[in-house]
Amino acid sequence: MTFEPLLQAEHVTMRFGGLFAVNDLSFTAGKRAITAVIGPNGAGKTTLFNCITGFYKPQVGRLALHHDGGPVLLERLSDHRIASQARVARTFQNIRLFSRMSVLENLIVDQHKELMRASAFSLAGLLGLGRYSRAEARAVERARHWLDKVDLTRFADVEAGSLPYGSQRRLEIARAMCTDPVLLCLDEPAAGLNPRESLELNTLLTGIRDEQGIGLLLIEHDMSVVMGISDWVVVLDYGKKIAEGPPAEVRRNPAVIRAYLGEEEDEALPPEVAGDVEGQA
Amino acid sequence: MSAYTDTLSIRRAIADAVAGGVVAAALALPMLGFKLVDSSQGLSLGTRMDWVLWAAVAVAGGRLALTLLRHWMSGLGHRMLNRFRLGTALRLVGRAWTVVSPWVGVVMVVFAAVLPFLPFADRNLVDKATLVLIYVMLGWGLNIVVGLAGLLDLGFVAFYAVGAYSYALLATQLGWSFWVCLPLAGLFSACFGIALGFPVLRLRGDYLAIVTLGFGEIIRVILQNWHQFTGGPNGITGIPRPTLFGLTFAASAPEGRQTFAEYFGVDYSGNQRVIFLYFVILALALLTNLFTLRIRRLPVGRAWEALREDEIACRSLGLNPTTIKLSAFATGAMFAGFAGSFFATRQGFISPESFAFIESAVILAIVVLGGMGSQIGVVLAALLLVGLPEWFRELQQYRMLAFGGAMVLIMLWRPSGLLANRKPTISLGAGP
Repeated sequence: MTFEPLLQAEHVTMRFGGLFAVNDLSFTAGKRAITAVIGPNGAGKTTLFNCITGFYKPQVGRLALHHDGGPVLLERLSDHRIASQARVARTFQNIRLFSRMSVLENLIVDQHKELMRASAFSLAGLLGLGRYSRAEARAVERARHWLDKVDLTRFADVEAGSLPYGSQRRLEIARAMCTDPVLLCLDEPAAGLNPRESLELNTLLTGIRDEQGIGLLLIEHDMSVVMGISDWVVVLDYGKKIAEGPPAEVRRNPAVIRAYLGEEEDEALPPEVAGDVEGQA
Repeated sequence: MSAYTDTLSIRRAIADAVAGGVVAAALALPMLGFKLVDSSQGLSLGTRMDWVLWAAVAVAGGRLALTLLRHWMSGLGHRMLNRFRLGTALRLVGRAWTVVSPWVGVVMVVFAAVLPFLPFADRNLVDKATLVLIYVMLGWGLNIVVGLAGLLDLGFVAFYAVGAYSYALLATQLGWSFWVCLPLAGLFSACFGIALGFPVLRLRGDYLAIVTLGFGEIIRVILQNWHQFTGGPNGITGIPRPTLFGLTFAASAPEGRQTFAEYFGVDYSGNQRVIFLYFVILALALLTNLFTLRIRRLPVGRAWEALREDEIACRSLGLNPTTIKLSAFATGAMFAGFAGSFFATRQGFISPESFAFIESAVILAIVVLGGMGSQIGVVLAALLLVGLPEWFRELQQYRMLAFGGAMVLIMLWRPSGLLANRKPTISLGAGP
């Protein structure tokens, strides 16, 4: 399987003192594809995400985003520019909603740039000109579209912080999508979800890939999600890439099994991988 | 909780009371135990140990009574009632507010508009209402910074001072009119807001509070010491009063001008000026309120609130925290500047003393007590914190005591302020 490249990471290295959190990592995430980044705890997955979304600046390496007209080098942009100009959106491992604002407001806030322009940096809005209300109506329309997608329309006027955990996860994805991204980075979207919710998540994410035609980058521990929906899997351990390929290939890779199993002791093995290991033995 | 058994309760309660008495005595010794005696050789230190004793006895007795009362109440199964009755009542009041608050706002504005013409309104009352309105306006201004953007600002009075001195200096040195200086004062204050904003961009919470506190003091100290420019501790006197389209409110008009009384053919009265000033600050305050209500529904306002909720999420969504923070500081400072120049023109005299830290603390207390981000809450809190002490001036020395007590009670029963119910700025109207 080959994909048109969307994000090309080349020799990305992020060091904290003597610790190489991400060490000389190169991989490509494709357009219209779901790329999963997996690895044991502390493998450097979230650090990689923080480099891509600009919260960290990698000391070495290049992160090129290919999107109409030439690559954008992400490592040169500040975090909010990466979101607004390069159109990379992300969610967080520990959900970061605007919890005391309503669900709908959460989805309107992130359409900031357009609304700012429509309201002439709020001046026209202060005077109550029509241009702004039309722009706001469009923003609400888009928010409603994504609320329908994640099945939260009923809760539009509820405080975001009062939603149940699974709904908050979905809302965070909807919020990221309202920024109209070309690359969506999801940091453990299935964490804390029950099996039914994580199945719904699979449908949502494949839906985003197929309908929006954007690239998704995914950190996940839940192997049913990783194996079920990803088109390409990158496996990290101690900041280094130890394997990559289609999911079916990666799960048989001895280096991956070793990273998850350890050399001798067997612990914390995801059930799907465990099943495979036993099947092979 | 107090799960005393019958046999133990008395001994425990007495031990508890004695401990309370000892603590009270230790606190009272330095605070009440000594006094300055004015003798023929000048001041000397005297003692009044009986006061310390009384304080200790009062605390110990009170503590014992409280414990026994609570024990007795719990025996009757009323412990919950005893503890939570007032809290529930306050919460119910808060909920009722959300229903009636839009109407309450309208009623309040109408009442404020007719207040000077009501039969019981004398000059004194209008004057005090003017003072309350200054604090309402300052509270609304700080509400933008603290309530909406979540930036804890302990030096808000600095911008108030900048506004006051801007007007005072422009008016006394250059002879510019109040209405020209008002926007300028707002502009200067906003510039100072940005100047403060830059160095504190990376700070939040306690650290931000400390730096803003320092900033407030810096401004005051500069005003105090740069006496060539600001008049130093003597302040600035003879600040001109505002005019109504060129009509002055004095007994006789200067050359080529008319007084308000002459123009309208009424008798001159000192009340006219007081009432005029009242309406000026009412208009300014309502402008602040209108601005805040509007901006909350605009992208800037929503970005402020989003910043208060989660700065990292803001950045991940492409919102630039630098501009959001600076705009919040600048906007809040601008309104403080307006209020400051009004203060200067009302007093006719300003000095650095009027801009001490306690003013910042009172304004912040108004915002926190009112419920962060609540507009009507600010009005209520301003009435409570500024209005009441003005009416009960003779109780001045107990003012801080009541202030502290009220704060403790609020933190216990309504930790998020009197009226802390936030209404969404936009709704789908779907409802769950």
